[in-house]
Amino acid sequence: MTDHADDKIVSANGATSRWRSLAGAAFRTAISVAVTVLGLLALTFFIGRLLPLDPVLAILGDDASQEAYDRMVVKLGLDLPLWQQFMTYIGNSLTFDFGTSLTSGKPVTEDILRVFPATFELATFAMILGTGIGIPLGVLAAANRDTWIDQTVRIVSLIGYSAPIFWLGLLGLTFFYAGLGWVGAPGRIGIVYQYDLQVQTGLYLVDSILSGRWDIFADVFSRIILPASILAYGAMAYIGRMTRSFMLEQLGQEYVLAARAKGATRRQVIWTHAFPNIAVQLVTVVALSYAFLLEGAVLTETVFAWPGFGRYLTTALLRADMNSVLGCTLIVGLIFIALNLASDIFYRVFDPRTR
Amino acid sequence: MKNLITFGAALVVALSAAPAFSETPPDTLVMARNIDAISTFDPAQIGEVVTNEMIQNMCDSLVAIDPLDEAKVVPAFAKSWEVSDDRMKITFQLVENAVFPSGNPVTSKDLAWSMQRVLKLGFGNAATMTEYGFTADGAAEELVATGDHTFEMNLSRPYPTGLILQAIASNRVANVLDSALLMGEEIDGDLGNKYLTTNTACVGPYSLTKWNAGEVVILEANDTYYGDAPKIKRVIIRHVAEAQAQRLLLEQGDIDVARDLGAEDLGELAKNDDITVASTTKHQLYYMGFNNANPEFSDYRVRLAFKYLIDYDALAGTVMNFLGTPRASVVPIGAFGALNASDGQPFSLDLEKAKALLTEAGYGDGFSARLFIGTLPYVAPVAVHVQENAAKVGIDLQIEQMANAQLFSAFRGRKFDTTMLSWSTSVPHAHGMLSRHAVNPDNSAEAGMSMFPTWRASWFSEDFNKRIDEALFEQDEAKQVEMYKQLQRDHMEKGPFTYMFQLLDTAAHRNTVTNWPWNAFRVYYADIEKG
Repeated sequence: MTDHADDKIVSANGATSRWRSLAGAAFRTAISVAVTVLGLLALTFFIGRLLPLDPVLAILGDDASQEAYDRMVVKLGLDLPLWQQFMTYIGNSLTFDFGTSLTSGKPVTEDILRVFPATFELATFAMILGTGIGIPLGVLAAANRDTWIDQTVRIVSLIGYSAPIFWLGLLGLTFFYAGLGWVGAPGRIGIVYQYDLQVQTGLYLVDSILSGRWDIFADVFSRIILPASILAYGAMAYIGRMTRSFMLEQLGQEYVLAARAKGATRRQVIWTHAFPNIAVQLVTVVALSYAFLLEGAVLTETVFAWPGFGRYLTTALLRADMNSVLGCTLIVGLIFIALNLASDIFYRVFDPRTR
Repeated sequence: MKNLITFGAALVVALSAAPAFSETPPDTLVMARNIDAISTFDPAQIGEVVTNEMIQNMCDSLVAIDPLDEAKVVPAFAKSWEVSDDRMKITFQLVENAVFPSGNPVTSKDLAWSMQRVLKLGFGNAATMTEYGFTADGAAEELVATGDHTFEMNLSRPYPTGLILQAIASNRVANVLDSALLMGEEIDGDLGNKYLTTNTACVGPYSLTKWNAGEVVILEANDTYYGDAPKIKRVIIRHVAEAQAQRLLLEQGDIDVARDLGAEDLGELAKNDDITVASTTKHQLYYMGFNNANPEFSDYRVRLAFKYLIDYDALAGTVMNFLGTPRASVVPIGAFGALNASDGQPFSLDLEKAKALLTEAGYGDGFSARLFIGTLPYVAPVAVHVQENAAKVGIDLQIEQMANAQLFSAFRGRKFDTTMLSWSTSVPHAHGMLSRHAVNPDNSAEAGMSMFPTWRASWFSEDFNKRIDEALFEQDEAKQVEMYKQLQRDHMEKGPFTYMFQLLDTAAHRNTVTNWPWNAFRVYYADIEKG
């Protein structure tokens, strides 16, 4: 009876301490995210001030008089002490107010909301393709180590890994667009549909489905497939190589031998015993690849006239449009932090040891 | 399930039925261009060629450059004008039936307000007017609406009327803006500047319907335009930054015109029977600038030596093919008072002569200097060419390539040794270039005359300042032309810059575009025709 009561006390204590440790973990995570974000803000701000670009000239033009120049310096607050500029910057950034873009004359936040869906759609499409093909290929290569299958996968990955994406893009366009006519022209949507599509989410594939316009869907799909495939190729090569090496490590473990001895088939050993054990590591690899794609693929976006995030950021940088550059850099940083956080959470779900 | 089948069908259609060749709609012109440079549609602020071309087709000025002869002007918003005997006052009679898209009638008050606004805002374009004595403080007396449709321009000196018409009245600073609308949109005394970053409020053959930065600009014919209706209903300018992609789109017929092709692509396209490659000379010179504050470049013989380090014809036949023609004079061909082609380009590659000049100047053993260049495709090959030849006479040039914004900043701040840049003028008159490339009102650092390339290069000549002023007010035209020619010859020998090429604007269009009307200053969208 006494024992039973003690049991209850113990389990109640256990629940409390689990909650405590969870709350502690959440608190620690929140602190580390806050510190990272603050560091990111400081870094972007000072990089912005160190670049030898003149935002005043970017606004006024090369021809402006010295008086007009001096007036603009005051208007932009560039005459204030650096710490004061930094405090204003932090205050504004926390409310996602990055000021007005010189490149477009619109608020930077509005610009980002316009260009980001283009990149998000392309990156997500590419990621689905890259992961969907990369993981099975990697597993296949590991399971058939040093055979012709492994060698073929290696060569295909090596090309995907090392071929300049710019060159692949132009080659793809020459072959599939100009030569065979299988894919649509560079650009996100055909000019005939420019007026027709009702933009709701900013993801044209989704928007065309939502408005039931299958003709627009076909047009948009024919244009996204090639840039997405080219981006996916790079991602696939990376994910495939990593999957292969993770799998090789697992297949060399004793539990695999034990499973085989127990009579499990090769397929069972690979997919139900070894593969779940590499899931955790794969999550990190996939999350990182995704983050890199979301950052915007400047070269792909340039070749395919894709009005995305990467091109927006690069143009802003070349035009000395510091508001946009800082806003975009911060968003990229936040994407990385968010995906890191997400993969941490996945770790906790998949890996019992971290619980 | 039904949706799934439709989805599948759409995929199949997308992948298999994409036509190998497509055509643009007959009433629409589709043009591929790098439109990254667009940052505003405010005529008082626009400072680059891409937006200027669009604004010229959306906002009429007082007068327009004659499509057939770029050295002349024709009536636009002003139907006629008179000049006082002392050349100090120009009186314009304006058209009476013009209406803004907002429905407000266009009056001379709008015009006076718009031109005064340019001076008050003080962006780079204000220099177009301040150069001829207009001031923000005196604007109310200098630019006056004397009746609903009569407008007076009061000058501070008897400038040649033709020059004022070319430099100011045909420029975007003389665009007529909807003052009532813009004052309603004013924020913090900006005279509607913020509103005009993404909108237009003027009268022209086309109006702006859409601008998505880095994606597309769409212009639609203006139904209420007082002039002739445009032949093409809609102009779509699609952002395609990559030259190769522009070429593929043109070959496939997905666009009608490509505007940013390189020499090699243009050479190939010129052989295509379905495509026409068209060029027009711009009043824009590509030149090398020297910092005269550096002892070696303060000697004119060193600067002159550089003119013999360039194989003009070899470059013109290769990297500058379709992009530029050799020109050493400061005044572009086509401008009033310009030297002819051969007199305006007497130089050729001559290493011995360059070496002799350097030795004479005391730099026979050479020296080293940095060369700052921008990012346009032809810039690097030209710079490397000069670097190689300079090395042969002992000069070590270290090339540093940088973003254009950074390059301008270094040049304006006098923080450079040598640089390569282009300069364009909107005035087809010798004074247009000489007033900036030979005149320097005050060379002191405090003066901050950064809108003068001469000041940036720390180059000052009292003699040139005086002679250019005298030439400007010379009433005898033949004598004036002779004065300009002599100024060009002297500037070629002693000036601060080495001019290399007069740049060309080259477009490739499909033959379905049957008329592509343009000149050095403008593409006339309203007269473009498609067959």
